[in-house]
Amino acid sequence: MIQQVGRFLIAPAARPFTIMAGAVVVLGLIDRGSGYFFSLGTLFSVMQLFASLGLVALGLGLSMMVREFDLSVAGMFSLAGCIAVITGGANPWLGALLGVAAGVFSGLIQGLIMTRLKLSSVGVTLGGLLTLQGLAYVLSGNQTVSYPNMSVALGLNAPFAQLLSVRSAVALAVFLLAALVMRYTYVGRDVIATGSDRRASRVAGLNTDQILIGVFAASGASSALAGVLLSYSLGAASPVGLSDVLAPAAAAAIVGGVSVVGGRGSPAGIAAGVLTLCILRSGLSAIGVPPYVHDLVTGGILLFIAVLDAPELARHITAWRLDRAERRAQTFTEKLS
Amino acid sequence: MSVLAVKGVTKRFGPNAVLKNVSLSLDAREIHAICGENGAGKSTLVKIMTGLYSPDEGVVSVDDKPTAIQNPQHAQELGIALVAQELSLAPALSVLDNIWLGNRKVPLFHRRKSLRMQARAALDQVGLSDLSLDAPISGLSIGRRQLVEIARMLTRDARVFFLDEPTATLSDVEIERIFDALRTLKAEGKTIVYITHRLGEVFAVCDSVSVLRNGELVGTRPTSEIDRGHLMEMMLGRSIGEMYPTWQSKPAGAALTIKNLHVPPVVHDFNLVAERGTVTCIAGQIGSGALTILRALAGLSAVATGEVTVLGKPMRLRSVAAARSANVRFISEDRAGEGVFLRLSVGQNLTATKLREHTTWGVLARAKLRETAAKLAGAVGVDRARLFSPADELSGGNQQKLAFGRWIGSAQPGALLMNEPTRGVDVGARAEIYRLVRGFCDQGYCVVMASSDIEEVLGMADRIICMYRGHQVGSYRRGEVNMHRVLADITHPAAA
Amino acid sequence: MTEIALGSRLRGSGLRARHLVLGIRIVAAATIAGFALTTQGFLSTLSINALLTAISFVGCVAVGMTFITLTGNIMSLALGATVSASALTFLATLSFGIVPALLFALLFGVVITGFQGFLVGYFQANPILVSIAALSLLLGAAAFATGGHRIYPAGDGLAIFKGRIAGIPVQALCFFATVIAAQFILSWTRIGRQMAMVGSSSRAATAAGIETTWTITTAYMIAGACAAISGVLLAARYGSGDMELGAGYDYTAIAAVLVGGTAIAGGSGSALRTLVGVTVIAIIEVVLLLRGFSEQLQYLITGIIVLAVIMLHVVGERR
Repeated sequence: MIQQVGRFLIAPAARPFTIMAGAVVVLGLIDRGSGYFFSLGTLFSVMQLFASLGLVALGLGLSMMVREFDLSVAGMFSLAGCIAVITGGANPWLGALLGVAAGVFSGLIQGLIMTRLKLSSVGVTLGGLLTLQGLAYVLSGNQTVSYPNMSVALGLNAPFAQLLSVRSAVALAVFLLAALVMRYTYVGRDVIATGSDRRASRVAGLNTDQILIGVFAASGASSALAGVLLSYSLGAASPVGLSDVLAPAAAAAIVGGVSVVGGRGSPAGIAAGVLTLCILRSGLSAIGVPPYVHDLVTGGILLFIAVLDAPELARHITAWRLDRAERRAQTFTEKLS
Repeated sequence: MSVLAVKGVTKRFGPNAVLKNVSLSLDAREIHAICGENGAGKSTLVKIMTGLYSPDEGVVSVDDKPTAIQNPQHAQELGIALVAQELSLAPALSVLDNIWLGNRKVPLFHRRKSLRMQARAALDQVGLSDLSLDAPISGLSIGRRQLVEIARMLTRDARVFFLDEPTATLSDVEIERIFDALRTLKAEGKTIVYITHRLGEVFAVCDSVSVLRNGELVGTRPTSEIDRGHLMEMMLGRSIGEMYPTWQSKPAGAALTIKNLHVPPVVHDFNLVAERGTVTCIAGQIGSGALTILRALAGLSAVATGEVTVLGKPMRLRSVAAARSANVRFISEDRAGEGVFLRLSVGQNLTATKLREHTTWGVLARAKLRETAAKLAGAVGVDRARLFSPADELSGGNQQKLAFGRWIGSAQPGALLMNEPTRGVDVGARAEIYRLVRGFCDQGYCVVMASSDIEEVLGMADRIICMYRGHQVGSYRRGEVNMHRVLADITHPAAA
Repeated sequence: MTEIALGSRLRGSGLRARHLVLGIRIVAAATIAGFALTTQGFLSTLSINALLTAISFVGCVAVGMTFITLTGNIMSLALGATVSASALTFLATLSFGIVPALLFALLFGVVITGFQGFLVGYFQANPILVSIAALSLLLGAAAFATGGHRIYPAGDGLAIFKGRIAGIPVQALCFFATVIAAQFILSWTRIGRQMAMVGSSSRAATAAGIETTWTITTAYMIAGACAAISGVLLAARYGSGDMELGAGYDYTAIAAVLVGGTAIAGGSGSALRTLVGVTVIAIIEVVLLLRGFSEQLQYLITGIIVLAVIMLHVVGERR
């Protein structure tokens, strides 16, 4: 009975929520009611982090669901921010539009290159990452560009309902939209099918090239939106360091149940994964634990998931069990004779 | 009026004519079988009729009108559906989603009630009334998956269904279910084309049968007018003659002893004693367990149990290292995935298992390796000039020779296991491979071959073991048995 | 057109296509060389030295990355952090003497990366995921160990690294030695051959009786050693270290590997090719710098060229 419940909780569909609940419980226990963790302030900072990391993780997660890996999300994150800040001085909507459009465009181009030339996504998105990052440097002149429209910055970050800001609300809305599309439209079904078995989907009649290009366009758009919102809210844009956002986004997607080999995952799961990481980060710092603990815990969880999902794990366990049974049988017969 | 027909169709790949002047007509309310040995041209003909290939000569007609079928989508619009051996279901999706997958007429919100009802109706038609629409495909047996795929075709208003080896891996119960589904479809006016090796099934469910041999149509007959023997003659007409080397077998003591081999869920209680210098063939169709047995002996199965002795010494199962040190050598049926290193050169492939002998203190003696590679290439008949070319540039037959050449000259002859050694190999290379096999025998190897090609089994074996669904159903010595008997054994006539 | 027909037609003209691609590569190389040689100041000692130094640090990591890519494991995102952490280990143990400190750093790199290799080899755990996990763990552990402070050398004797031998900076010599050693392993040893086999098809390697777990673990261990070497060189150069030292090296390293022509799918690759890749990228950067392009444009143009070269390689392999 316990085994069954345990297995259910660890199953990929439920796992992200289990881990998130676990994080909350553990942090709550450590906090021991002193109110640092379970406070609205902590929750607000969690949601602020969610706004940036979440959208990037969503984009990356979508690309992983079709069995690819979009390295360029990190580059788009910084580039879109620069574009928005530079062009959105007078009209913030224009800047946002241009930034997101850039994301869509870069996704389309990379998707086309991948499908027409039949290249793997690692090479193409690596080139994309370097190119986009380079463009960010060029546009910003390798300096921090400030955004003159302070009211926008303040407006985006102002808390309402004590928990959310406009930024995090937008992020949540995007997640909601993605979740609805994935669950209730055939687009979502086709994405999962393509990731699950691309050959079979093609034979069944899907245009897998189109789906791949679409996914990469969505991924670009999502990370672009994240960059735009963050830059606006900071009132400045700078070409952000490469590693800063890619690894946490991948970690969030994987904790969120997305499988690297495709065919598995959902926006809801990714949201849970992102929340877990944000809860850990904000919660740990709220409690007063040194920041390195966050990295250690994240790394530990990821390692655990990596081994748990590994294909050979089951085989080794079965082989070990059979070997043990055979050895027992052998000593038994030896004892008899 | 014929629903779908081909007339005078010829198809060439390079210099080979795979189909020669084939004419065939299909009517409504008919279950029509297409039979033929490997390489006879069945799958090419089917691909032409379903829009994957275009014929070089000849005409394809739909409803008596000449039509050029552009691609599979076009075929779908014309009502032609193919259920291939490799199913096209996405494991991560539910039954409902898979049924509508790829269907152009599905609206954005694709799980509407009306679509659910249609899917339910299709499932009922194929006899899957007890299957929930939301069940994940990954939990279904292959037989049920096949039926789901047929249901998918129904929702696409297919009129002509091509089923390629639909029952290869099914249990008897599931086969009956498929038959029932097919009979229902036929009663509704559909046409079914049933491509199979299994002659018993041709007579069980089909109305007529066309036989292909070497790319030519031998004939089309109603099943009521011929019998099994007749059909086999049509299929296997040519002489066995020059393909197989003649030899004198010199058995020299038991080399391989297998007791109580179990490989769940397929193989149960397999026993065998094979001698040095002989070829033992395990004959069986896909799903019979023949391939599984040899893979288990090679150490590639994680769940095999049993007692195996090689050259007098017990060998551990479930470990490739143990198999290697027991001198068990294995040639896989999956050449591209497991047999040959496609991105490495021919020479590197040939010396793949010889590295240890050419190493001192971890360093390879490269000149000596190249010599060895050249010698091996000569021994198997691969052009030495291609030693540095990547292996994926070779034809299937030459690649298979690489898989063989790898084991020549290894220190001590032991057991050589091979699964489907001539699958996807052209006729010319096949004769060379058979000669190689006999060469191994003469060197003292104990050769065990698993094959679904009966002619090959009869041409090569000193000893034949027939497998059906994981059980041994027959064991014969050379000369004791003929093709009809073997075919009967592996196709289990007891369905009647 | 059907796949088979297309394949046989391509195969017929295969030789010609291959020659065409080789021609394109030669032209590309010549163009780059041409730009380089006609650039004012390129051949000066100063710029050559700058070039060599730039290559050495990233180059070692790129050579290590080659082993990982060769065995079919795409890339590791943890090598950069391993560089930094090895540098810290080196600096912290300098009090025991240079050679012991060197050995400690090497041991660190080998063990940390080798463990990742074991997980990937034995369980077939996803290599990118494992490297991300290792990255997090390294960052956390390093922050814990250093308390966030920079580490300064605990001993003396780093001067040797700052000099030159026969006019070539010591770092560059270390790098070339690493390349030679790595190429030797790849071309001349059994384990190197096994790595190519595992990368081409891990299932075929298993069926042929190769110990894939050990092969992959060794590849990762070598990658760790290379990262450690880079870390030591960096630590010696800058005289102090923190986790920022190797940040971003992973991307440049994998770019160098791909530009050099190692296939991302594994099974073929060489340290010499990676050397070419590293050199090409560095030359482009230096040329752009000397020709007065702003730093931003350098970055951008390098990115575009990398993308173009990667596409060129793969298109060529399509045959």
